[in-house]
Amino acid sequence: MWFFRSPSIVYGEDSISFFNELPQRRLVIVTDGNIIRAGLLQKIKNELPSDSEILIIDDVPIEPTISYVLSLKGRIIDFNPDLIIGLGGGSCMDCAKVVFVTYERPDIDLHDITPLVNLDLRKKARLILIPTTSGTGSECSWAAVISDDDHGRKNEFASPEIIADFAIIDPAMVSSLPEPVRKSTAVDALAHAIEARSSTWKNSYSDIFSDKAVELISGNLFDAISHPENMEAVSNVHMGASMAGLAFSNSQITLAHSLGHSLGAHFKIPHGISVGIFLPHVIRFNYAESKGEYVALNKKFPPNLRKRYLYLTVENFLKVLSMPVKISDLNIKKDEYEKKMDSMVSVALESTGTVLNPRDAGRAELEMFLREIE
Amino acid sequence: MYKFPSEEWAKAYYEKLNANSDYRDSARDWEGDITLVINADQGLERDAYLYLDLYHGTCRRYIFTTDPEHIPKSEFTYSGKFGNWKKLINSEVDPIKGILTGKFKMKGSMSKIMRYTKAAKLMVNTASLVPSVF
Repeated sequence: MWFFRSPSIVYGEDSISFFNELPQRRLVIVTDGNIIRAGLLQKIKNELPSDSEILIIDDVPIEPTISYVLSLKGRIIDFNPDLIIGLGGGSCMDCAKVVFVTYERPDIDLHDITPLVNLDLRKKARLILIPTTSGTGSECSWAAVISDDDHGRKNEFASPEIIADFAIIDPAMVSSLPEPVRKSTAVDALAHAIEARSSTWKNSYSDIFSDKAVELISGNLFDAISHPENMEAVSNVHMGASMAGLAFSNSQITLAHSLGHSLGAHFKIPHGISVGIFLPHVIRFNYAESKGEYVALNKKFPPNLRKRYLYLTVENFLKVLSMPVKISDLNIKKDEYEKKMDSMVSVALESTGTVLNPRDAGRAELEMFLREIE
Repeated sequence: MYKFPSEEWAKAYYEKLNANSDYRDSARDWEGDITLVINADQGLERDAYLYLDLYHGTCRRYIFTTDPEHIPKSEFTYSGKFGNWKKLINSEVDPIKGILTGKFKMKGSMSKIMRYTKAAKLMVNTASLVPSVF
């Protein structure tokens, strides 16, 4: 017995008009300053019923911490919303998920947001997520990454109960993404799709979404970058990212994410970059165990990008995107990197992604990956 | 071959766990005891308990009993029916999926256990290495 979990998905151009008929009236919108400056919050507000009362949380940091999330609890409880909306990239949406939990269950410890605890949510409100990048898949997943206060660890809170009620996949929310963000978030999405396909929890449902996600992202990303006015390409990448989110949410991620989370937490590197840097190495390491899956995925790349093996294709994909491939590309000093080696290995070892990798990896293998990118 | 559950099986498991260097490595910071509860089911008349005192990657002692009065109160318990334990030991059930689908119940700090999923997996893998009859 197993499950396939998904929010209800509203997608395509003009899908934010879904808010016209919203039954809720007391709304909390969790977002950040960049989203407001880009005019995206206003686009949502324009669609809301005129008698809505709105509390806007507009200062979600790039890496929200446990203290930050807990600092919002009192304001949210006092406002008494019947809907919480996460609007932004992964940080805003993950923050909204955890805010949703602290509002519904102010009594629980955030570390109890695990699949093993019955949270019993949705007694007060519902949750809607609107991605403004095409990458994290958070709008479709039941995970939320929140850092420790010292940023030494990214906690992977996860529960099927924090999956959104609705995910709104509107290309208008990503039409003006800066190019570096479009690239790095797309690499994150690609990693979700590839790792979901090879996880030991992979299943027929998640496989379908992995395959389609790779096809949509790899087949449209370069058009979306060079011609962001091409809404079909932008929309395809955006949908591909949400499909990758559905895939990994239902089969989990593996080693590239374990290592990427650890590297990112230790050196403050954007998620897509820190995960992408390990992806070809992990595929090569897993090749014998996941050959069938990797061969199937390789065929989903356009012929002009495809190489003989998936890890070569992914290497080529990253190269064409000019993504970092070594720590020297990230301006990390070698001695600093060496000092943090043991801690990086330990954090990666604790990740569930390490457990669900198709090939066993212990401390020695994790250190090997970290040295391969030196 | 060792009959599961039994004192002989428990001793064999204890020895294999302590010989497992991967487990020792992944649980090197772990401090906490756990009781595995095998609930009576077809093929097992009485509940059985295997108490494991786990500390820094080693199992310091174990107690096997069918009397719950004879085991210390432990930080964690992992319980399931005998039939589901058979599937777990035969690698037919994933230990975390087992909880998510109601085949097993876990009590204790979930935040702590979720940081040691690798060690938990290796504990289960070690059980699969004990030649078992049911």
